[in-house]
Amino acid sequence: MSVIREGKVKRVLEDPESSQHVIIEFTNFVTAGDGAKKEELEGKGRLACDITEFLLQYLSDKGIETHYVETLEGPKIRCFRAAILPVEVVCRNVAAGSFCRRYGIDRGIELSEPLVEFFLKDDKLGDPLITEEAVMRLQLVNRSDIGFMKSIALSVNHYLSELFAQQNLRLVDFKLEFGRTADGRLVVADEISGDTMRIWNKEGESLDKDLFREDSGDLLSAYVGLLDILRKTDPKIIPIRSEEVHVMVMPKEGIKNPPGEVTRKGLIRLGFQDVKEVRVGKEFKIVLTRPLTSSLLKGLELMNIKLLTNPIAETHEVRLS
Amino acid sequence: MAIAVIRFPGTNNEKDVMRVLASIPGGDPYLVPNYDGPGPLARADGVFIPGGFSYGDYLRAGAVASVEAIIDGVVEIAKAGKPVIGICNGFQILAEAGLLPGVLLPNKSARFVCKWINLRTCETKSIYTEGLDSAILRIPIAHAEGNYYCSEEDLHMLKGEGRVSFRYCNSEGEPTQEVNPNGSLDNIAGIVNERGNVLGMMPHPERASRAILGSTDGLAILENFVRATKAP
Ligand SMILES: Nc1ncnc2c1ncn2[C@@H]1O[C@H](COP(=O)(O)OP(=O)(O)OP(=O)(O)O)[C@@H](O)[C@H]1O
Ligand SMILES: [Mg+2]
Repeated sequence: MSVIREGKVKRVLEDPESSQHVIIEFTNFVTAGDGAKKEELEGKGRLACDITEFLLQYLSDKGIETHYVETLEGPKIRCFRAAILPVEVVCRNVAAGSFCRRYGIDRGIELSEPLVEFFLKDDKLGDPLITEEAVMRLQLVNRSDIGFMKSIALSVNHYLSELFAQQNLRLVDFKLEFGRTADGRLVVADEISGDTMRIWNKEGESLDKDLFREDSGDLLSAYVGLLDILRKTDPKIIPIRSEEVHVMVMPKEGIKNPPGEVTRKGLIRLGFQDVKEVRVGKEFKIVLTRPLTSSLLKGLELMNIKLLTNPIAETHEVRLS
Repeated sequence: MAIAVIRFPGTNNEKDVMRVLASIPGGDPYLVPNYDGPGPLARADGVFIPGGFSYGDYLRAGAVASVEAIIDGVVEIAKAGKPVIGICNGFQILAEAGLLPGVLLPNKSARFVCKWINLRTCETKSIYTEGLDSAILRIPIAHAEGNYYCSEEDLHMLKGEGRVSFRYCNSEGEPTQEVNPNGSLDNIAGIVNERGNVLGMMPHPERASRAILGSTDGLAILENFVRATKAP
């Protein structure tokens, strides 16, 4: 099998059976600080592969589209081949790691709500934090895909948090990569394992790669424990939650908007002389039965053309986050 | 002939319409509630969509009604070349359903307009305006969204193909801006489809169909419609 990409911990191989797929092989390497710290631990690849298989399978059972197809011998998984977007998506519930260093706060501070951050995938630059605005202005990812990734990251956060909570564990944060498949779907790619998450027990002890980063414990036995714990969970009892999206509809520029004009008159009467123009549109809050997928996103566009918007006189924008 | 008069939740002109149609020789109207679906339209020789406020005019006037199953039946009737007429909310529904080009936007005044207007029969040669060459008709309007709008190409096409059936006009028959009651593009009050068998108009001919109502000018349009349902 020819190698497409030799990563720090995984190898991406051609799938001899299908050009739509790739095979990802998990090595025994573990690295930290963008490869500055590196070790080989016998059995680590198998564990990361099994945990990834378990979690990606669980997420897809909840309706989240991932690249996972099946597990092969080796520690290998067959996945949909995907063009990986150039940003990594991090979701945090509790302050840890670089977030604490960046803002000078203590490890363990609860965030008021889950936070989604983007990091530029660039090892040479050390994968720096990047703002959503910069991602758009540099045309790395468009607005719709950014919204999609945020929405999925929050869904993944919900489902993973619920799963770990069954075993009294706290999902602190995790990283996702997204990729576009040949048939145009944006899916969760790469791995989800102790290498890409922080998980704490009630005592605040890590069951993840922080043990290696900080030389604070035995990574291999933590991963064995993590897989054990996952196998004790009951994923089926976690219900599928609904997701919310918004559609903004506005009268097209150049078309008179009488409701806006009379509203403006009212505002002027109230003394708001600086109101030059008011245009009244509509906002739809749409609650979906399941997590967003690329086909649901297409459905939202179709909803607009078929009913929500009259394209002759109105424009629309789907807001995913 | 058998004329299906469609009633959606919020339609409120169906009784007036049924009464007038029944009074016209050959007119045999029957009411079809939307929830009966397209089935009852199979025997129709023509379809009438009366005015009102289908689905409370929520979303956009006519929008929700325009995606109902019964509209599939209306599309079939239109395709078969049988006459289909939509008055007021009926016009809004036909436009939203794509059976007629353009859209009816909120009135320029942002107010509900209810008054008698003059209507000029225009360049059209449709079945609906037979015998009404350049007539000036007195017919009432009552709507909040009657501001006809369409793309420049569509307007060009409508005019070029003689598909503007009626325009708001003054007592001399001139379509001036002073008498434009709602801001409609080119004073357009009614249009027909390419084939000429589907008419949408904002004014209410059924409310100008008996002397006691103050005008009988609308009757001719409805008589033309009934006559067209008899055509082979
Ligand atoms: N479905 C997929 N199709 C193609 N490439 C994928 C897919 N899933 C993950 N990848 C890519 O495969 C590589 C996995 O290797 P590894 O995680 O060891 O890389 P890495 O050294 O961390 O490099 P990177 O900074 O690119 O993540 C990554 O580059 C990842 O983006
Ligand atoms: Mg990686």
